[in-house]
Amino acid sequence: MDFTPSPSQQLLGATARDFLRRHCPPETAQRLALDARGFDDGLWRRMAELGWPGLLVPGDFGGSDGSLLDVILLVEEMGRAGLPGPFVASAVVATSLLVAGGSPAQHERLLPPLAAGERIATLALVDDGGSFDPLALTLRCEVPGRLTGTKLFVNNAHVADDLIVALQGGDLLLLPADRPGLARLPLDTLSGEKTFEVSFDAVEVRAEDRLGRAGRGDGALAAALTAGALARTAEMVGAAQRVLDLAVEHARTRVQGGRPIGGYQAIQHACADLVRDVDTSRGLLYAAAWRASEGLPAGADVAMAKAYAGEACLTVARRGHQIFGAIGYCEEHPLHLLHKRIQAASLDFGDAGLHLETVAREIGLR
Amino acid sequence: MEFGFTAEEQAFREEVRRFVADHPAERFPLDGMDAGYGSGAHSRAFLKELGARGWLAMTWPRAHGGLERPMFFKLVLFEELARAGAPFGPLAGSWQTADAIIEYGTDRLRREVLPAVARGEATFWQGYSEPGAGSDLLSLTTEAKRDGDHWIIRGHKIWSSHAGIATHGLVFTRTSREARRSRGFSMFVVPNGTPGMDIRPIRSLTGEVYHYEVFLDDVRVPADLMLGPEGEGFQALLNGLDSDRFWGRYYKAPALERVLRQLVEYANTTTTNGVPLGRDPVVRRRLAGMATDIAALRTLFFRAACLLRDGAPITYETAVAKVMADELGQKLARLGMDLLGPWGPLREGSRGARLGGRVSHDYLTSLGHTIAGGTAEVLRTTIAVRGLGLPADKRA
Repeated sequence: MDFTPSPSQQLLGATARDFLRRHCPPETAQRLALDARGFDDGLWRRMAELGWPGLLVPGDFGGSDGSLLDVILLVEEMGRAGLPGPFVASAVVATSLLVAGGSPAQHERLLPPLAAGERIATLALVDDGGSFDPLALTLRCEVPGRLTGTKLFVNNAHVADDLIVALQGGDLLLLPADRPGLARLPLDTLSGEKTFEVSFDAVEVRAEDRLGRAGRGDGALAAALTAGALARTAEMVGAAQRVLDLAVEHARTRVQGGRPIGGYQAIQHACADLVRDVDTSRGLLYAAAWRASEGLPAGADVAMAKAYAGEACLTVARRGHQIFGAIGYCEEHPLHLLHKRIQAASLDFGDAGLHLETVAREIGLR
Repeated sequence: MEFGFTAEEQAFREEVRRFVADHPAERFPLDGMDAGYGSGAHSRAFLKELGARGWLAMTWPRAHGGLERPMFFKLVLFEELARAGAPFGPLAGSWQTADAIIEYGTDRLRREVLPAVARGEATFWQGYSEPGAGSDLLSLTTEAKRDGDHWIIRGHKIWSSHAGIATHGLVFTRTSREARRSRGFSMFVVPNGTPGMDIRPIRSLTGEVYHYEVFLDDVRVPADLMLGPEGEGFQALLNGLDSDRFWGRYYKAPALERVLRQLVEYANTTTTNGVPLGRDPVVRRRLAGMATDIAALRTLFFRAACLLRDGAPITYETAVAKVMADELGQKLARLGMDLLGPWGPLREGSRGARLGGRVSHDYLTSLGHTIAGGTAEVLRTTIAVRGLGLPADKRA
């Protein structure tokens, strides 16, 4: 048992924190949230120069052979900074899926540019029923054939070169985003995260568009969903830690009634609960990411981490608003964006309801 | 980072599992009630059984009869005993006392008390609280006055768990008046039965006796039964608090897992209006949420365990674990009462009682947990002030 990150993990975290403090201050995060495209090409290029998009890519394809735990520690820092953009969608989720399920030719063609940040991919999972459960998928398509239908909540589809489309029955397609008949329609979200409805109007699907073998994509998809759930949890943990840090700083310096409000037990006890919620969310996250990285069975651990953080970190955000009082209500204050990002992350890759059902089965409920 | 147990720890776990399988809890006579903390009832016979295996002294230095096993073996032992519902009630307190004696006890305490702890014979009550000194311990009035080679203790202690069936009291007294309010306190290890000591039971809300009050009427104690340096008792007490909170609650999470398993089994096998309880989406979600909360709690204890093992600084990490453990226990007891419905309040032994009537017992005992050993309010203040650096109340 050891909670200390390795020296290289500590270096990664410290580098990320320093980099994001300089290149993604709250004003940048806020500007990108309000901007329709919301993608900073320069920032993405600098992240690519640090090798971040290649963390999960094997060394043979230009990546750095990192573990899921490494990438989780990095994404936690991104959550702390409220960094927007396609990192989780492309470098974590789509990359995990391609690594696990792609053919040698697909690896050769896609992994090097993905690792270099020159190419961006995203997963189109959710059907119009709104469920993140792969067993609930209904969209089907003959391969080769024509694809007609809709995918919802496809993150960063506007900057993606490739879409990975999950179909009913364990089939996966890898489609170029500019294929005729494919349309990306923006959804206007609270968080300013760029997410899309993608419609397919008799889109041509060729034999070589298949990702993995017919009906056998579910293993690769599961790996990607694990990575996505953990990455979104890491974002929540980082954002909630930032809310806590800001709230404590505010409680130390905001004077009312002749003393800092942090001297009042009502505020002290609220802050104590925030610590509990953040620390436990992080503990479950690290334990689940460690198990997944070690190749141990981690389904229930990931489900617990995602379900727990979704509720605990949102509670942190809401209580943060109460601690901040009126100033937290302002657009220029960083709190609301962190809150909205936690809100978005709590739903992406499955909400507490979906994941707690996994836990219910794990503890033996029939 | 590493979230598993080592091969040696796992091997020891198997050894303990075999032991509890061969020594079911119901085979042991109980001396005192199960207060619901997760360590079960007080059974000296069971402690002696652990002592016979060398497990009670296993982490001590060899010079004191120990085996110098790593601290994590204690975690493993606690986990497996709690999962089995074994009656090891006062063990954490015995271990904490033994550790203090090993660290700064007199030769006499080491010679007389340590072997008795190792055999499972010695158990201790805490004489800290007084009628006028609860959360504000420093306002205690019990005094010890020097008289040659002895000290004479006079005062009134209360809320001392299992005092009537323990072998020694840890009596916290004022031994001098100092300018600083927190100085001038000393701790004594006083054998039960010392003349002048009057131990009276307090019946608890379950109808059983857990706490006692102790009247100390000029109790004469040899000077070498003082534990720790004279006048520095409060600092010693504070230094030990993180460790006390940790060990006094570590077994709670595995014990809650055990109760949760019983509730899952109950939900699977109970039908209401023709529908299995376990198919009710609200029930499923509450039970799964509880399993998740317990897993979250365990991460707090594992982190605190690593800090204690490594001798790393601790500011709030055991406090936050204790508060969460106690509040989670209350939440689980409420859930149990909800699932049992009209059968919930039936007592152990009642006709028709379900799950042995234990749920209503847990429900009642859990009420005391957020009070004993530092109230949830005091500990939240500790977390905020020591952990987060928020300003302390000037009066403290």
